[in-house]
Amino acid sequence: MTDKTILEVQNFDVDYGYGDAAVRAVSDVSFTLGASKVLGVAGESGSGKSTLVYGLTRLLREPGVIVGGEVKFHLDGEGEFDILSASEEEIRKIRWSHISIVLQSALSALNPLRRIGREFDEVLRVHDANLSKEQRRERSEELLALVGLRPDRLRRFPHELSGGQRQRIMIAMALALRPELVIMDEPTTALDVVTQREIVSELAELRRQLGFAMIFITHDLSLLVELADDIMVMYAGQIVERAPAKELHDAPRHPYTLGLMNSFPPLHGERTELEGIPGSPPDLKALPTGCPFSPRCAFAMDKCRQERPPLVLEVGTEHSVACWLHDSSYQGAVPVELSKRLAKNSGGAQ
Amino acid sequence: MSQVETGKTLLEAKALSRHFIVKGDGGFFSKRKSIAAVEGADVALRAGKILAVVGESGSGKSVLARLLSRIVSPTSGELVLNGETVDLKTQRDLAYASQVQLVLQDPFAAMNPVRRVGHSLERPLLIHGVPEDEISARAHEILESVSLTPPQQFLDRYPHELSGGQLQRINIARALAVKPKVLLADEPISMLDVSVRLGILNLLRSLCDDKNLAIMYITHDIASARYIADEVVVMYAGQMVERSNDTSLINSPQHPYTQLLIASVPDPTKLGAEVVKAPSGGAAAFNLNGCRFSPRCSQALAMCATNEPPMVEVAPGQHAKCWLHASDAQRASVTISNKSKNEMESKNV
Repeated sequence: MTDKTILEVQNFDVDYGYGDAAVRAVSDVSFTLGASKVLGVAGESGSGKSTLVYGLTRLLREPGVIVGGEVKFHLDGEGEFDILSASEEEIRKIRWSHISIVLQSALSALNPLRRIGREFDEVLRVHDANLSKEQRRERSEELLALVGLRPDRLRRFPHELSGGQRQRIMIAMALALRPELVIMDEPTTALDVVTQREIVSELAELRRQLGFAMIFITHDLSLLVELADDIMVMYAGQIVERAPAKELHDAPRHPYTLGLMNSFPPLHGERTELEGIPGSPPDLKALPTGCPFSPRCAFAMDKCRQERPPLVLEVGTEHSVACWLHDSSYQGAVPVELSKRLAKNSGGAQ
Repeated sequence: MSQVETGKTLLEAKALSRHFIVKGDGGFFSKRKSIAAVEGADVALRAGKILAVVGESGSGKSVLARLLSRIVSPTSGELVLNGETVDLKTQRDLAYASQVQLVLQDPFAAMNPVRRVGHSLERPLLIHGVPEDEISARAHEILESVSLTPPQQFLDRYPHELSGGQLQRINIARALAVKPKVLLADEPISMLDVSVRLGILNLLRSLCDDKNLAIMYITHDIASARYIADEVVVMYAGQMVERSNDTSLINSPQHPYTQLLIASVPDPTKLGAEVVKAPSGGAAAFNLNGCRFSPRCSQALAMCATNEPPMVEVAPGQHAKCWLHASDAQRASVTISNKSKNEMESKNV
């Protein structure tokens, strides 16, 4: 499959608040997404990962403001669509039919007083007035079947369904109008691992059938390694590292990515004491000058505390990292932890 | 505090059960029914040891913690604290609370938002009768024990000024203020940022070792259980389905549910490996007569649907509640008792 670009983001900035009180929640984010790819976005709370996608879909509410950048969505056969300059009316036509979004809490996304069937009916009716009532019901049942739910679920109220079933309903609704891009904001965080496993494998199957692109947001890096083609790691509103999933897992370059990976105790191998990352997540209102991760970084140098490192693509690879240790101006030796492939994690058996 | 011998059982639950009465399926006037949130739980918490209780939501693990802390009273069963049976008919008293403390999941909700941290820390000391002139020194001391230094800086803050990780440390500190012997930690890291979780786990481990605390660590994250625990119990639908007196059940799970749980954990080192297809049904689909996991179990036998499996030793120190591991004699006894039951019924008819 030739991979066209579906989404292009350039120097995207989002603030919360105005003027002097403004806090930069997403800072200078640029990336492109291929039409059949899965982009994983990893980061802790406050890293700007959710703000980023709310901004991209123009769902951001006050006091969030998009202050700069360009977002281009490529429609099949219809050319480019400039999301940031589009009117509210135009953007509404794009949302759901071309870009849809699944949020973390399905319970709060569904109206508790309505049966599931009515929610489906409304989505289909609003976006295609030509469908008859009967056709809409048939289509709803088809969509439920797609995510492995029985048609009688349409008669149920949200509270009668389990968390996993509700999240499946949200995914079915997101796919209702066959969008080209689906954004998933922590869709499995509130679920049990077994349910998470079911939903993740269903998503892979749905993508095989329908071939949509996906942006998947989570704090669980190991889940992303399984699921995504590329992973973007965010810290304090910035992209600190981006690489193909396996590459990022085997050879993380940014100290934060390494720390994040060491924060998940392994299920196999010897039990060793792990350190995690010292200190607290950043306070966006009082970011340090220089690299925002420098106060928690074991390898921080003087330069890190003075100047913010740019995101630079490593020559000859698809691996970008924003860290002075990997900058061409840096003369010293890169710490071993950040220069080698992590042999013990990369699964020697393969 | 008198020194306790490591490994000594401090708090023990014997066949502890709690049933909740809920509305029936058939609307407002339908008959009420009882749900066993925890059934036949046997737990022993030992000094200097961490017991991990692993289960998904609805497995009864949080109710178990509340039963042990006596916030919820059991329907049946027995609690033994320091070798003495606790009188479960009475209200929980201060003496019990000072020995068994509970730390909850959400550090933001556990603190009074309009009071300074110092207030929240000093209250339990006052209530538990620490002389007033010692209180301030004690508050400093316990903050230091959870690595929040300098203490004064934290005592004067409001909860919203602190990060989740710091607040959870304060919660743990507050639980330790009255020098308990048993600490029950209900999902203490699941609301925290990934990067600070290990810090809290390491803190629990060192508190356990230094103060010889008996800790029950409740979690849905089996990898974190493996990281800090000495013993592990897996719960499903209110029952304990597998247990081991080390972490061996994580390395070689024997119960089909534990196997499913472990296979479901995202594991980048096993990329491309065959993913177990999780049998659908959701946590709500459990069977009340036989094995509760049988409707979702891919290896279920005919008897699993009708007869509750026994707890069987599957390896030294490891037990699984599963018919697959039962001996022929155990299985045969069921067939006989079924037969006799059938005979009885046919006679009655």
